[in-house]
Amino acid sequence: MIKIVKRDQPSKAIFFFTPILAIFLTLIAGGIIFYILGFKPFEALKFFFIVPIADKYGFSELLLKATPLCLIAIGLSFCFKSNNWNIGAEGQLTFGAIVSGGVALLFYDQEGFYILPIVILAGAIGGMIYASIPAILKTYFNTNEILVSLMLVYVSKLILDYLVVGPWSNPEGFNFPETRQFSDSARLPLLFEGLRIHAGIFLALAAVVISWFVFYKTYLGFQMKVSGFSLKTAKYAGYKGKKMIILVFLISGACAGLAGVGEITGPIGQLHREVSPDYGFTAIIVAFLGRLHPVGIIFASLVVAITYLGAETAQIFMQIPKYTGQVFQGMILFFLLASDYLLFFKFKFIGTKK
Amino acid sequence: MNTNLKISNVTKIYPGCVANDDVSLEFNSGKIYALLGENGAGKSTLVKILSGVVIPDEGKIYLNKNILKLNSPSDAKKNDIGMVFQHFNLFETLSVFENLIIDSDEQRENLKEKIDTIMKKYNFSVDLDVPVLNLSAGQKQKVEIIRCLIRSPKVLIMDEPTSVLTEQETSELFLSLKKFSEEGILIIYITHKLKEVMQLCDEVAVMRRGKLVSVSQINNENIESLANKMVGQDLKTIKKKKENTSSEQLIKITNLNFTSEDPFETNLVDINFSLNRGECLGIAGISGNGQSELFQVLSGEIISNKNSIEFNKNFIGDLNPQERREYLMAFSPEDRLEQAAIPQMAIFENVALNNFKSSNFFNNGLINESKIKEHSKKIISEFNVNTENIDLKSQFLSGGNLQKLIIGRELITSPDLLICFNPTWGLDVGAINYIHETLIKINEQNKSIILISTDTDELLKLSDKISVIHRGKLSKIMNAEDVTSEKLGVLMGGGN
Repeated sequence: MIKIVKRDQPSKAIFFFTPILAIFLTLIAGGIIFYILGFKPFEALKFFFIVPIADKYGFSELLLKATPLCLIAIGLSFCFKSNNWNIGAEGQLTFGAIVSGGVALLFYDQEGFYILPIVILAGAIGGMIYASIPAILKTYFNTNEILVSLMLVYVSKLILDYLVVGPWSNPEGFNFPETRQFSDSARLPLLFEGLRIHAGIFLALAAVVISWFVFYKTYLGFQMKVSGFSLKTAKYAGYKGKKMIILVFLISGACAGLAGVGEITGPIGQLHREVSPDYGFTAIIVAFLGRLHPVGIIFASLVVAITYLGAETAQIFMQIPKYTGQVFQGMILFFLLASDYLLFFKFKFIGTKK
Repeated sequence: MNTNLKISNVTKIYPGCVANDDVSLEFNSGKIYALLGENGAGKSTLVKILSGVVIPDEGKIYLNKNILKLNSPSDAKKNDIGMVFQHFNLFETLSVFENLIIDSDEQRENLKEKIDTIMKKYNFSVDLDVPVLNLSAGQKQKVEIIRCLIRSPKVLIMDEPTSVLTEQETSELFLSLKKFSEEGILIIYITHKLKEVMQLCDEVAVMRRGKLVSVSQINNENIESLANKMVGQDLKTIKKKKENTSSEQLIKITNLNFTSEDPFETNLVDINFSLNRGECLGIAGISGNGQSELFQVLSGEIISNKNSIEFNKNFIGDLNPQERREYLMAFSPEDRLEQAAIPQMAIFENVALNNFKSSNFFNNGLINESKIKEHSKKIISEFNVNTENIDLKSQFLSGGNLQKLIIGRELITSPDLLICFNPTWGLDVGAINYIHETLIKINEQNKSIILISTDTDELLKLSDKISVIHRGKLSKIMNAEDVTSEKLGVLMGGGN
């Protein structure tokens, strides 16, 4: 007989084991789904998870997708660790892309080393401005940041839509919903000839290092930890709650904005309707899969990035819609939440009583 | 028809606390019964058992001599036990009528008729078509009551029903309850408000620390006697020796008010007092009368008017707790596990929660871990916290050791004033003694204490001055020597 007992304390090993278990269960469930759809499960999973990253180009694509995921998830972990539920990173990414894209367009016919830093900075500021809206509404008007940040995603997408078909659309672009190409000086440099991976990855790595330092070595990180465990305690300790809420939202917005910059000045090179395949939402899964730990988030972003690539390969080779990628992302989150049960409970095997 | 409800030898044990210890009670219809006790006395657990929410570890329940198996709230409903909880269980966005019929299988028309009859019979006026969120607390409660009445219950249990009601609504409720009782519904009324018991009930059962203390006719009791039973009669006469306290004023509270938006909180009305160095001011009261709000206002978790609090000749009413600490105040909140400390964090991290500029825990925004650890070791040895390992998560400390850590953390910086709220709540005798000795010691060092406590023994033992808080108002401040527990009992119950 199996009995479920409550753990005295959440086990540290289990804490890092459950994400792996979740990925494993996702693979099994994915295999079953493929089987039901009439594919050989192992072959399908191979197409999904191994073929896409089997060569140099594939690996570069993996890093390309993982970069924004990692960057955004790092930013989100500042919010999530301190009990602030920013789920509007997609909007902050979009708005960051709009602001930095606007700046890049100002320089579309110019060259100069100074352009890229300005463009990058503009993106971070754009993301911060956009993230400050739910933060300020939460601190001064007691609104729910989940709703506000989520709704603002759609607002930013509509603003982008309006800009690329209207005032910012390319005058020589035959009415395609896109802007001019940015000048080369506004583009993030590619790291290798012929591959799409660009210098944005260094932004992500810098974010990882900085966030690790902030989380574990600074007073701000300590205050975030306390607020995350108990807002009552944070209040009792006298932490300036409002200031912190705004700060973590700004950090998170800046990261999402930078991810937006990376997309438009990296692989895309202009603004159009689809600057992000929902990286901002997927990054929520990445943040939790990585246990809000900077190093964990690196691994999580790589794993989740594969689902983007796998979905594309599967569409090409197996004629499965690319939305399968989202199915896999959903399953990872589902199994992660489910296996988190093990954090607090354990199975105990006991002999049947006779 | 007569209804007889019998609770026989019910025990319910939660980890670390016996919520109900061998409780046996018998109720008969036609009477209104009060179940009286402080917060945490076990009355809520007992009614949760009666309504099927909690399953007892031992003991049986009988309804009209038949044994009842109450494994879920629906079992209670099936057996005609109705329950109105303190916090309403209504769907705010649905209309009143939808809320009333939502858990019933009967035809809508039948129910409509039934509801109309009930409303007419008891003079209830609630608009059935408006969404519940538009109703006042009193009306919401009527909806809950009607929902019970639809099932024509034999037993109706009311859990602290007046905590959100106005005086007017309260007297309306009492009229209805008396009417129900005349119709033969057995009514069990849970409260810690003594006046209401005297006003409404026929028999009263008092619980304390999980045990049934007494069952008696209301005619044989008065507010005083009930208060004593509630808080414990075994009063020791050990008092602190009155030393030569200085006459230098340390803190002065002037016209302090707090109005809460939360109906479950108590408003504070015109709080005025002052305290000299080396004195201990005890604030007595039955829990839920504004103690928590008073603590928060004093600690700075709730910020008030700058001039309302004068401390050491500075006006500090608008400062947050951390800023007040810089003026040498220290705080020990009631809730050890959810406020004063974070169980999931290490001991030394919990020590860092009380952070002075001069303690240098955080330099230029960076954590100075070695400094914090050094400080933690000092607290552990000076305040007898029974562990060596400051990396230990504080959830592994016993309640007593955790409280020593918290008090130590607050006192090691030698503050001028310590404000503590139920500092010995739930501790064993040894730890209680230790905390009491510590508190007496700091008074002897000419430092002051404000002790908010629901434990009358503790207050009489430690205080120089005593005041009683009732419904957010402080009584006049009395010298502890002139106070008897009877007098406190009367004041705690709202008498004069």
